[in-house]
Amino acid sequence: MIRHLIKLIWNKRGTHALLIIEIWASFMVLFGVLSMIVYNFTNYLEPIGFQYEQVWNLDLKNNQDTIDVGDKLKRALQRVRSYSEVASASRMSSNAPFSASQMNNSVDYNKINVLADQYYTDEAMRATLDLSVESGRWFDESDKVSKYVSIIINKKMKEGLFTGDNPLGKVIKVDDKLSYKVVGIIDKFKSHGEFSADEPGMFRMIGKDDNWNSNMMIKTKPGTDANFEARLVKDMATMLPGWGIEVSYLKDSRNNRHKITLVPVMIFLIVSGFLLTNVALGLFGILNLNIAKRRGEIGLRRAMGATEADVTTQFLGEVWVLAIFSIVLGLLFAMQFPLLGVFDVPVNTYAIAVLAAILIIFLIVTLCAWYPSRQASRIHPAVALHEE
Amino acid sequence: MIKLQNVEKVYRTSSIETLALNNINLDVKKGEFVSIMGPSGCGKSTLLNIIGLLDAPSKGIIEIDGRKVERFNDKEIAPLRNKMLGFIFQSFHLINDLSVIDNVEIPLLYRSNNAKQRRELAEEALEKVGLANRMKHFPKQLSGGQKQRVAIARAIVGKPEIILADEPTGNLDSAMGNEIINILQSLNENGATIVMVTHDDAMAKRTHRLIRLFDGTQVL
Amino acid sequence: MLSNYIKIAWKVLLRHPFYTFITLFGISLTLTVLMVLTSFLDHLFGAHYPENNRDRSLYIATMMLTDSAETSMSTGPASFRFLSRYAKSLKTPENVTIISNFSFSNTYINGKKIKLNTKYTDAAFWHVMGFEFLEGKPYNEQHTKSGEHVVVITDDLRNQYFEKKGQTVIGQNIEIEGIDYKVIGIVKGSPATRLYTYSDVYFPYTAPKSNYENKGMQGSYIAIALAKDQTDIPAIQSEFDSGIKSIPMSEIRGERKFNILIIKAEEYFDHFLNTFARRDQDKLMLYSMTALVILMFIGLPAINLVNVNVSRILERASEIGVRKAFGAPSKALLWQFIIENIFITCIGGVLALGLSYLIIYLINSSGWIPYADLTINFAVFLISVGVCLMFGFLSGVLPAFRMSRLKIVDALKG
Repeated sequence: MIRHLIKLIWNKRGTHALLIIEIWASFMVLFGVLSMIVYNFTNYLEPIGFQYEQVWNLDLKNNQDTIDVGDKLKRALQRVRSYSEVASASRMSSNAPFSASQMNNSVDYNKINVLADQYYTDEAMRATLDLSVESGRWFDESDKVSKYVSIIINKKMKEGLFTGDNPLGKVIKVDDKLSYKVVGIIDKFKSHGEFSADEPGMFRMIGKDDNWNSNMMIKTKPGTDANFEARLVKDMATMLPGWGIEVSYLKDSRNNRHKITLVPVMIFLIVSGFLLTNVALGLFGILNLNIAKRRGEIGLRRAMGATEADVTTQFLGEVWVLAIFSIVLGLLFAMQFPLLGVFDVPVNTYAIAVLAAILIIFLIVTLCAWYPSRQASRIHPAVALHEE
Repeated sequence: MIKLQNVEKVYRTSSIETLALNNINLDVKKGEFVSIMGPSGCGKSTLLNIIGLLDAPSKGIIEIDGRKVERFNDKEIAPLRNKMLGFIFQSFHLINDLSVIDNVEIPLLYRSNNAKQRRELAEEALEKVGLANRMKHFPKQLSGGQKQRVAIARAIVGKPEIILADEPTGNLDSAMGNEIINILQSLNENGATIVMVTHDDAMAKRTHRLIRLFDGTQVL
Repeated sequence: MLSNYIKIAWKVLLRHPFYTFITLFGISLTLTVLMVLTSFLDHLFGAHYPENNRDRSLYIATMMLTDSAETSMSTGPASFRFLSRYAKSLKTPENVTIISNFSFSNTYINGKKIKLNTKYTDAAFWHVMGFEFLEGKPYNEQHTKSGEHVVVITDDLRNQYFEKKGQTVIGQNIEIEGIDYKVIGIVKGSPATRLYTYSDVYFPYTAPKSNYENKGMQGSYIAIALAKDQTDIPAIQSEFDSGIKSIPMSEIRGERKFNILIIKAEEYFDHFLNTFARRDQDKLMLYSMTALVILMFIGLPAINLVNVNVSRILERASEIGVRKAFGAPSKALLWQFIIENIFITCIGGVLALGLSYLIIYLINSSGWIPYADLTINFAVFLISVGVCLMFGFLSGVLPAFRMSRLKIVDALKG
């Protein structure tokens, strides 16, 4: 029967070409939109790896003040930590969680190269962001005076750089002046938010006299409000005249990051939703007309011994064959994306998107063909055969 | 082989009731070649549809090969049509998008034959009607007579015991029509029971028995 | 004759309400998407408040420093010093303004936090841009020279910060990061999508924390040159380019080992494009991806329409046969179908116009983009009508062509 259906479709390929193109185009649209959704959703399922609820980002800018900047930052941190509203506070580089700024460097070890995000921070960060240390330890005071620069890497970086080896205690030479030593491994740190991929990342202890990394992560106690924030800003302004002082909540920055991801997804979803509704209605109409045109054939098949169910199956089958033709065509195009590496998206994501697209295409064509096919099977053979 | 008792067919629309067949009694024996004649609209096609199980009677009993079938449902009727009956129509009803051999194979699609068996049976049937050399052609490339021979091949491919022909020569000139009747006659000689609707006396004369209908009533 | 065609078309549409619905649904939704999209693009790239002069403005916004092998590069805005030397000094433009890139701050009032976008500008900013002053005046060169602590704020910030309604706030102070600024003007806010003009507070560039004194070439400022006339644009660009060429290598090299400096005065759209794709192959990629997406989103409904039309016309084959048999020439039938299609497309167009108005109204009033001012302007409408007719033609000609080839006998047979 399948062979018969394929023959039937193939012999009418001229008439079906437009229909195949239409299903193909729907498949491509679905594939694109679904790839985007699957990519973001699989990322979303991975935990973010830190707590941000009560955390503020205090962004300090020294502007034209260039005297004793490192010292002033140190004193500012002490001041912040002294408030009773503050549970924990750490210094951090400008690539704070959820911020738009990014700092990455390539790291080499045993000829393997990994591009890793670099975060500068201090011994209190683990408490500030509730980071979970998998093995080894977090920074402590001893790291400030150690021979090598202590770093803590995330699991993703461990997998990338130390295939199978235990990275703890390993020394990574960067150049003659700088070598890293791995002292700890943390689980995950998706600083660009839930929808981003878990990228390799490393934390590095802020130097004793650092005057460059002037952000502070402040974990406040529950119930702290804008009054404290105003007091903090005012105190900082008196302490650091001429400096730029900006407080933002990680909670808010996170929402902004989400918006940047979700708004395009929503727009594509709405537009492709309308497109597919459009296609579905069109397909329904076309199938209805086609079946009306083939009443004679339906009558004949019934006379030759086809049951009502056979007729329904035949018309559904034809549409499925059409869908398969279109999907095969679509797969040829879709395959190019992972093959050419157009986007930095794992093959799995494409695979899931393709499967989901196939499923939805079959769902749509089946829904559209169901009613006309049932109608076809109800055509009375005696009437259909004598219409001409 | 075919037995009709007190068969009546009424067509109902919301306002009008039409009596298409009235008290038809018929008994076609195995191996008989029967023709049905009558003016347009006398109900001969309706009668053939009822014999062919394409239409259900409003009243009466139908027996095919000893089985009472008038209360059969779709799932019981379809295999019966497929195995017992072969149809030939005035307008051929070939599927234009399928090649000759694929058209002939259609009845076999609704049984459990495999592709190879189907092909062999279809080739055999086409040889019987003398069209083995046109297997790969499409209906549009054939003449009317050739089309009807394809339709006959399709009707006999499943080796049914009964062949029902609805004005098989109606769309053909007399030479071609004769050829078709010759084929039917030889099928009959090989054991097929044939019921043919026609309005051509010459054709009817070549059958064993003639049934005449007038206004839904059997007059002969 | 035409009215007769339309009358028949109308009757045909009413006779098949389901297919009319499918066709109208397809046309009106596709057009709506197109119109909202063009309206959004127009909102992003067109000349609108307060960048009313965008079509004769050149943006000097990204500076790229790199070495000849492109092993490392540094991209970002330029310094105030650099821009005042190479942009402000341009002779051809009518005016040049220097503005800081966006920055953020907060202000606190009665235990409430107000998030602020801040911007430092020179006095020329108010001449180059078409801001509407609801109250007060802009700051002028006097203010910038003396470094007075004055600001211009938006009506939105005024309503949030100064809670007393109906009273003028000119002359009152607003405290930002521990410093009091005197409010001297209130402007109608600008949409957030206009990156170079959007802000809640505008400071004179000499205000504290503006970092206009920074040395070096890179910084946090951009310049916008306003041409007297659009035709002056190439002249300004070449004047700017020759100025850049004259910069000695020693100055470019700076601390790092860069030897190539790229900074251009570009029209807004080019500038926008360059921030996404600087190299030609990137641009090609961007163009082809965009073309593919648009092709899909327009092509799909178009194919759908053609498909429905083809099927419908074949369904009506017998009608065609009768008409042909009664002597209607092929040409008249062709016209009938084309007019039918154009007619339904126009109805779809009108529906789309209404829908687009609704969606744009919803976008504008949702607060999704602050101060959004999406409009269906005349250009957008004309494009849509053009697209509308193209659709009618596309989905009319192919089926009509197939129809006109139908032989009378085949048509009658159906």
